[in-house]
Parts: sequence; C-alpha cells; structure tokens
Amino acid sequence: MEKVCVIGAGSTKYGKLQDSITDIALQASVDALDSAGIEPKKIQAGYISNVFGIADKQVHLGPVIMSNLGIPEVPSLSIESACGSGSVSFREAYANVAAGFYDAVLATGVEKVTHTGTEWTTTYFSYCSDFFYEGGAGASFPGLFASIARAYLAEFKATEEDLAMVAVKNHDNGFLNPKAHLRKKITVDDVLKSAVVASPLKLYDCCPFSDGASAVILCNEKFAKDHSTNYIEVIGSGRGGSPAALQGREHITTIPSTKIAAHAAYKMAGVTPKDIDFAEVHDCFTIAELVDTEDLGFFEKGEAVEALRQGRTRLNGDIPINPSGGLKSKGHPIGATGIGQVVEVFDQLTGKAGERTVKEGKIGLTHNFGATGASCAVHIFKSV
Amino acid sequence: MQPVQAAPSIYSKVYKLLAKEEFINNAKLGKVLARKCTKCGHLHLATTYFCQNCGNKTFENAIIEGMGAIVTYTIITVPPEGYEKYVPYAWVVMKLDKTDLRISGFMGGIKSPADLPLGMKSKMTGYDERGIIIEKL
Repeated sequence: MEKVCVIGAGSTKYGKLQDSITDIALQASVDALDSAGIEPKKIQAGYISNVFGIADKQVHLGPVIMSNLGIPEVPSLSIESACGSGSVSFREAYANVAAGFYDAVLATGVEKVTHTGTEWTTTYFSYCSDFFYEGGAGASFPGLFASIARAYLAEFKATEEDLAMVAVKNHDNGFLNPKAHLRKKITVDDVLKSAVVASPLKLYDCCPFSDGASAVILCNEKFAKDHSTNYIEVIGSGRGGSPAALQGREHITTIPSTKIAAHAAYKMAGVTPKDIDFAEVHDCFTIAELVDTEDLGFFEKGEAVEALRQGRTRLNGDIPINPSGGLKSKGHPIGATGIGQVVEVFDQLTGKAGERTVKEGKIGLTHNFGATGASCAVHIFKSV
Repeated sequence: MQPVQAAPSIYSKVYKLLAKEEFINNAKLGKVLARKCTKCGHLHLATTYFCQNCGNKTFENAIIEGMGAIVTYTIITVPPEGYEKYVPYAWVVMKLDKTDLRISGFMGGIKSPADLPLGMKSKMTGYDERGIIIEKL
C-alpha cells in the first residue's frame, strides 16, 4: 500500500449560508487546491459527500463540481452515509490512493439545509434512523440521543449539568474558530435554561443544523514531496458498523461501530489511545462526546464525566477534544462534517489553527459517525 | 392467533416484505413476531433475514408476548412531521420479558420523567400511523 498524505484543506464558514450548494462546495474545493498549491488538472478523482442535495435542487454533485473546476473528464463518486458521509467518503478516497489507483484526489463534503426550516430538517434527518422502529414511531434524532443520555445518566450517576459542561467547553473552543457557526461563549446555566427538545436534552445540548462545505486533497507520498513541504500523513484508517436501531444494541451507552473503527485505526497506525494528542469527535449532542471518548479508549467506561469535570478534555488539558468547537459549536453541515474534522487536524498539525492550537500536537484523530453510530469511520494523522 | 387484515399502513407500501406485514399484524395483537434460528436458536425480530449470530438463513416463528420493562426513553417536544398533535409523547425502548430482545416504539401521555420511571412494566398494544404502540401497565 502507498503511504497517503493530506496536502491541502479548505472550508467555508459553517452556518446559515446564502450561496447555493454547488457554490459552497466549489469555494471549499478551490480553497483546498490553493492550500495544496496545485492546479485542478492534477486531480485524478473526486469524492463528494452529501446527504440532502435534494433540498437545494442538486444531487449527483460530483460531475457538477468537477465540471466547474475545469476537469469534467475526471471521475467522481457521490457518497451518502448520513452524518458520517464525510469520513466515509474520506476513507474511500484514502483507500483508492493507498491502493495506487490515483496519485492525487479531491474529497469535498457539503450540505445546504437551513433554508428548509426546523420541521423539514427534523423530519428528513429522521429518515437516517432505522425508520420502521425509530423515525416511524415518532423518534427525532435529538430523541434517539436523548434516550442514550437517559440511560447513561442513570447508569453512571452523571447529571444534566455534566452534559451542559460539554457544550460550554466546545463553545469556548468554537469561540476561537472564525469559521464556527455558533461563535459565542455560553454557561452551564444557559444550557440548563434552554428549551427542552427531547428530554433530557435541551436546545443547547444539540448541535445546530448548518450549511457549509469542507474539502481536502489526498495524495501519495511521492506526490506530496513533489508538491509541498507542509503536509500530514494518514497513519490509520478504520471503519465499523452497529445494529442500525438502538433496540438492537445490548449496551445502549456504547456505540459498537466506534469501537470497531477505532480498533482497526489504532492497529494500522501502531498506536494506542494514549498516543493521541487531540481528537475531533462526533459530538452531535453533548451526550455523544462522553460516549465517544470512552468508546475511543481515552477513558474507561463511565469515566468521561470525571475527565470532563477535571478539564482534561479542554484545549489546555492532556487530551483536548474538539479543539475546533466540534459539531456543537463549529456546526454540523452533515455531508461536510467528516471532512471538516480532517481540515481541523490539518490546520492543527501544520500550524494554521491560530489561537486554538493544541500544545505539542503531533498525532490527531478524527471520529465521525452516521445516525446513532450505525456507521462510523476513524482516522489517525501525524505531522511530517 | 386470530386472522388479522393486512395493515393499512404506509410501511406496507414501502416494504413489500411478507415478514414486515406479518410482524405488523402481530404487533396489532400486542405480540412480537420473532424468528428463532433453526441452527443456533438465536432470537431476532422478524425483519432479519440471516442469523446475526451464525449466518444461517432458516428460522422458525416465535410469537412473544409484547410485555417487558422500559430500558430508556425520551419525551419529544420538537417532533417530526405528523407527530405535532401528539406532543409531548415518549419514544421508548423496552426489554421484552424472558428474552434478550428489545423493541422500541411510541408511548403517548408522557409529560415528564416522573410519569415514567426506568424499569416501568409496559406492554405493546398495537400498531398504527404512530408506529408500534407501547403503553404502561
């Protein structure tokens, strides 16, 4: 297998955007190409992650993006894997470069949904669940994670204040990120007093619906050395699956696909959770970050809360989690999120993260899943 | 089991699967149609086509009483389309008695966590446009 590197990364701001889905996907793609310092003609394939292109009247985004980049002859693949679309797409891009099919490829993730309103998004997002048992019985996505939260709070003696602290921490980080959707500091009280969406989760326990696009350029090591001096290497890539419905899981407070994907990625990278300097994890709801950091092996089961209380996951802690602000504050344009996490790791490891740079960050991890973790991908990167 | 008319539900249009219809017909009687693997005995909900334990493809039907205890739940205040008139309501996960199977569904009339302590004994009572219906005993 070829060594795979990331030599360029770009993102639009996340939030309520006015431009079309195609325009924002192109803005991020052009930023990534500029960041890599290469021309589109060097790209041999495109991997485009998106879930609800239908909301902005454009599906089959790949050829549209390639054509507008001046490379209509280049093949592309459009990928949907719910909220995990970006990382799943990154994995396909990674695998094809690793296998030697291509020297350099573009992976762009995009979503444009905020113009549709809360009812449309709540309804359509529920189609990502195992619909017969979940969405089709009145469960929204906040509701599914609220069910995980209620089980977690009962099992591990955690409180709604603890959940709120995840939101406060990630908003503190997002405040330092010019591209974040919710760029404001909040307090535990703000979270507790916000409207209940699906008990026990309140509005500020939930990530926002966001528009946005992120893009990265992946290539083999020779291409990286020939074109750049400031790039990162992908040292681990893992994927996993879980029973699609929560009812199919023996332990509701664990997401099996995270454990499977993480195990594979750690094994490939030859590292353990202790070697990871910082991580971007899938905090679609505050409860998810607690569950993720346990399933990724940073903390024992049930101990993420104590680590959070001690500040270990803060920007200046021993294992900073979501330095970008995470889905909670940076925002969650679902097709772009997994790629956006790679953009953050790229920025962190190449000295472009500004005020939110983690101390002595050499190895970063991304963790992104679809639905309630029915599908998952984990990637590990190191600075070169 | 009494004969039941095919379910007049949106799912029968979406899933042209006999197993699903049979499952729904049982749910209407408060029963769970499970499939027991003829090779290893592992139990699944009827919508699985291969054994998740051993990969075997043949099953025998096992009709289980839809009785159990609530494992976890949420109370929805911001609902998906079609559920506005039911707010607030709960979506619950229930562990079925005498098996390791869990089933989830809609529970009306729940306004606050005080209405539904974890472990509450509950029962499947039907199936309609709200999905599988579960009620407190």
